[in-house]
Amino acid sequence: MKQVSLIAAFAALTTSAFAGAGTAAAESTLDIVKERGHLRCQVGSPSAGYYNLDSDGNWYGLDVSVCQAVAAAIFGDKSKLEIQSVSSQARFTALANGESDLLSRTATWTLTRDSQLGIDFLAPNFYDGQGFTVRKDSGITSAMELQGAKVCVTTGTTTELNLTDYSRANKLNISNVTFEDFNVRDDTYLNGGCDAVTGDKSSMAGNIAAFPVPADHIILPETLSKEPLSSAVRHGDNQWSDIVRWSIFALINAEELGITQANVDDMLANSPVPSVRRMLGAEGNLHEGLGLKSDWAYNIIKAVGNYGEIYEAYMGHGKQGIGIDRAGTLNALWTDGGLMFSPPMR
Amino acid sequence: MAFVKSEKTPDRPAPLSERSVTGWMRKNLFNSWFNSILTVGTLLLIYFIVKGIWDWGFADATFMAENRRECFDNSLTGACWAGVIDWLDNIFYGRYPRDQIWRIHYGGLMLVLWMAPLWMERVKGKVLIAAGVVVFYPFLSGYLFAGGDKGVFMQLMVTGAVVALIANTANMITGLLKQESLKGFLLRVSGQTIAPDKTQRNILLAITGCAFAAAFIWQMNWRVDAVPWTKWGGLFLTMVISGIGIASSLPGGIILALGRRSKLTVIRVLCVSFIEVFRSVPLITVLFMATTMFPLFMDEGFVLNKLTQVIIAVVLFNACYMAETVRAGLQAIPKGQYEGAHTIGLGYWRMMGLVIMPQALKHMIPNIVGSFIGLLKDTTLVSIIGLFDILGMLRSISKDVPWLGLHKEPLIFGAMLFFILCFLMSKYSRYLEVKLSAGNRH
Amino acid sequence: MSSTVSQTGAVRVRPKEKFDFFNDARVRSAFYQLLTAGVFAWLVWYLVSNTAHNLEVRGMNTGFGFINNSAGFDTDFKLIDYTPGVGTYGRIFLIGALNTLFISALAIVFSSIFGFFVGVLRLSSNWLVSKVALAFVEIFRNTPLLIQIVFWYIGVFSLLPMVKQTLDLSLGAEMLLLNNRGLYLATPVAGDLFWLTPLALAVAAAGVVLLRRKARKLQEHTGQQSKTLLPSIALLVLLPGAAFFFTDMPLTWDVPTLQGFNFVGGTSVPPAFLALLVSLSIYHSAQIAEAVRAGVLSVNKGQTEAALSIGLKPGRVMSMVIIPQAMPAIVPPLISQWMNTVKNSSLAIAIGYSDVVSLFMQTALNQAGYAVEMVGMTMAFYMVISLSISGLLNIYNKRVQLVER
Repeated sequence: MKQVSLIAAFAALTTSAFAGAGTAAAESTLDIVKERGHLRCQVGSPSAGYYNLDSDGNWYGLDVSVCQAVAAAIFGDKSKLEIQSVSSQARFTALANGESDLLSRTATWTLTRDSQLGIDFLAPNFYDGQGFTVRKDSGITSAMELQGAKVCVTTGTTTELNLTDYSRANKLNISNVTFEDFNVRDDTYLNGGCDAVTGDKSSMAGNIAAFPVPADHIILPETLSKEPLSSAVRHGDNQWSDIVRWSIFALINAEELGITQANVDDMLANSPVPSVRRMLGAEGNLHEGLGLKSDWAYNIIKAVGNYGEIYEAYMGHGKQGIGIDRAGTLNALWTDGGLMFSPPMR
Repeated sequence: MAFVKSEKTPDRPAPLSERSVTGWMRKNLFNSWFNSILTVGTLLLIYFIVKGIWDWGFADATFMAENRRECFDNSLTGACWAGVIDWLDNIFYGRYPRDQIWRIHYGGLMLVLWMAPLWMERVKGKVLIAAGVVVFYPFLSGYLFAGGDKGVFMQLMVTGAVVALIANTANMITGLLKQESLKGFLLRVSGQTIAPDKTQRNILLAITGCAFAAAFIWQMNWRVDAVPWTKWGGLFLTMVISGIGIASSLPGGIILALGRRSKLTVIRVLCVSFIEVFRSVPLITVLFMATTMFPLFMDEGFVLNKLTQVIIAVVLFNACYMAETVRAGLQAIPKGQYEGAHTIGLGYWRMMGLVIMPQALKHMIPNIVGSFIGLLKDTTLVSIIGLFDILGMLRSISKDVPWLGLHKEPLIFGAMLFFILCFLMSKYSRYLEVKLSAGNRH
Repeated sequence: MSSTVSQTGAVRVRPKEKFDFFNDARVRSAFYQLLTAGVFAWLVWYLVSNTAHNLEVRGMNTGFGFINNSAGFDTDFKLIDYTPGVGTYGRIFLIGALNTLFISALAIVFSSIFGFFVGVLRLSSNWLVSKVALAFVEIFRNTPLLIQIVFWYIGVFSLLPMVKQTLDLSLGAEMLLLNNRGLYLATPVAGDLFWLTPLALAVAAAGVVLLRRKARKLQEHTGQQSKTLLPSIALLVLLPGAAFFFTDMPLTWDVPTLQGFNFVGGTSVPPAFLALLVSLSIYHSAQIAEAVRAGVLSVNKGQTEAALSIGLKPGRVMSMVIIPQAMPAIVPPLISQWMNTVKNSSLAIAIGYSDVVSLFMQTALNQAGYAVEMVGMTMAFYMVISLSISGLLNIYNKRVQLVER
């Protein structure tokens, strides 16, 4: 009889083990996040400007600030956040299967990804474009002169596809030299292993700034592609996508309205401007549709500042910034001729 | 017999070639024209390599700087160690909260305290000590590292671990001082050395029970802050993964090896195919499978965290290699041992547990150390799938804005660190091998 | 037994065995096997049904139809023709598999040769040389291969000269050029009747083998040593040389020349390939050196002394007495190192050499999805390779056992 009871015990054990893993698909993401007590926000392996570790082990960067903004909107506390660093192979599956609540990494918004991977892209927080870097002394001034050149490129991303497309379209006969790591890519380029580097112009600008002699290198004017780098959430939960989308818009809107981390308290107490008062929750009921508290936007700005401040800190000339000028680029506010535009918050 | 010398003639000195430096050099370096050329060539090679390393790594290197630009300003051709120094905490502990790092140190010290008696000749009950480490240490250190609230099971295991650790330490002390086991000491103190077995057992049970109760009450108030696994990293994470990997792969490997030698066809075929499948594919594919496909295998909505996925993959992978080590150990046991065990009427499990395995495991210790070295080196692969183990951290330095692009120095630092660790361990395993085989010949 | 009963009717010698269902060995064995098979089948069913369900819920594509879809990306190293946008994912898999096999085969050859070399150096009577060999072995055995690969890639190949200062390894013939873009080889282009030259070479090689066998037989029978080195070399050089000349030297070289940015012509290998090849060769040669050393040391010292005492020269002692006896101890670890070389070539992913893992399991998987199929295909590929290599080992073991006793 020993065996029989053994089987019974085994069966009981397995059923109980797997019964515990109930399905959570029906619940709303907001409820899950609130119940868990922190937000799970996915970034990639460190990439200068967007998401980096500092020597104390803290995450910082433009995309990390977006994560913090969403956490602050929900909890009023930007530290209720778990940053997940996921390799690029697993990034979309990790979002689709519920491991991450939010993807905030340098992911380009494309039709295929938006429609076929079970995820939704929301609002770009950075507009980039792929370009080439060459040595100044090579005398090259246009990408069309790269006939037969070797171009260093990081593998496994749209960058590689764009380069192949561009070479085919312009009959440039470029040969790709692929790299897993942009450091190795840049090192190979610096040592003459390739004639040009291709990558997103912004991050290349940051990398050039860290070359031994930055002035020896230029970025060519051609832009191979448009890269709206955007946050994404799982497909199908509209309330959740609204929360993330409007958290990002709140950052942009705050810059437009002149609300900063420093003056947000003052603005909340004393500003007579209706749009400021509505946004910060002093009047109106903007928060109700989102299912958040009325001071959600206030919390965002208080925690991370407005978009301009974030940009300056990590992309611009702040202490942890990679030194890209903002004026005149796509990432300037729409009032300054850029693409950063928030629909009205009313 | 006057022609016999009454005192010993003094030893003649060894020939010059045996005792002078030049003689030694003639014999070992310049004993033929070919060897002379070889020696000179090798010396030149060593000179160039050492000089290159010295210039880059020390003479022109920068050790103190705020960021990479300062390193460049100091020297364009030398190494910039300042970045590595700035990141040392990350490299060793990952993102573990800086005010909690003592927990990692304590965990390590505890392991040393627990394992130390294994190396002490006077201490008794080594098998129990080893079993205690494998069964209890993971829970105690696991709680220490992860923290947070304890479930009932965790409370019991932590209590058990505390009791075991105290008993273990007491056993070590009695062993060192009086060369007797804790059990003997307790019985002697309570004056029951010659009492019947049953009384002795009851006394020991009572003492254990009291200790358990006391420890349980103590641990109810013992709480450390939760540190989520995403904050684990650096060498600490590498050690955790390879430690769990080696500890769990041993039982897994034993089961698989026994299954492979089983007379039951179904079990044998399953074990053989399992072992062969995992042994024939690279670890990186198993890790990819774990991270991209485990979520698909599970019930919808059931999400394992990535560390667990990686550990499962590493354990499965390593158990298959360990199975082959164990099999080799089992094959080395003479057939007479099996037959002898059968003759005295032991069944399969008792024969394996009491006679065969202890002998086989003893032979396998050097190989197990070897597997651990291999695993420690292989664990660097988890950085490819996005965990911040030591290699992940080393490669992240180059993305931190102050040190943007600094990637050679961290890598070389990591290589040196690994070399020291692995070299010492492999030396030790070779020493063990010699010692064990010497013990065998007696 | 029945006959005894019928004849005497006496008490049976063996009491009737009571059939105890729970303690019968056969029943128990059948039960355990059934139980295992049942649990296994349930596990498979559980995993498969979950996977199917999850794939459906997430709307992910399944099936092997993608193999015929065209892949839009290019690779920088391929052994067969491929055009991005036209070539299929099936072809990508083939390219990756061939690349893995190609680099593993080269690494196996180099690491075996170099490993033997270092292993013999380890045993050298020259103290310095043996210590340097020891340091080499210890350094490369005790650091992770992944770090070594990345190190060679970034640390050493960036030290190579730029295109304009290309290193000519063929001493001015421009056949073998090395710079930090990779290694450029001149490719031979065969003309008419060129086939005669390799044929002559083969004939010469066969002649050399015959010659050596004859010399060995002579030695085994009479102990007389004959010089085979010079005649062999003469045969190997003169015969093909004559054939080559008499057919009007029908061979031209496609030499790499600098045009615009790069060398055109010949064959080139990218730095990632070189880095991986060098690191795999070195790492595994360190392992093989240890195997060789252990194998040679396993041969009784008396063998060397006996061989020397019958007047064999040290070189011959090694080749005729020690190595043949050490081989059975060397070959199994050697072959398992070969297997590891194939598996470790998958670390190419860290530096972007287009092997099957980085090309198919990373890039293609990122572009097309189909996680289950692609991971499955990659693992199946490795399994086939490993099983073939371990089959090789088994054949060798059988042969050695038969020869021994």
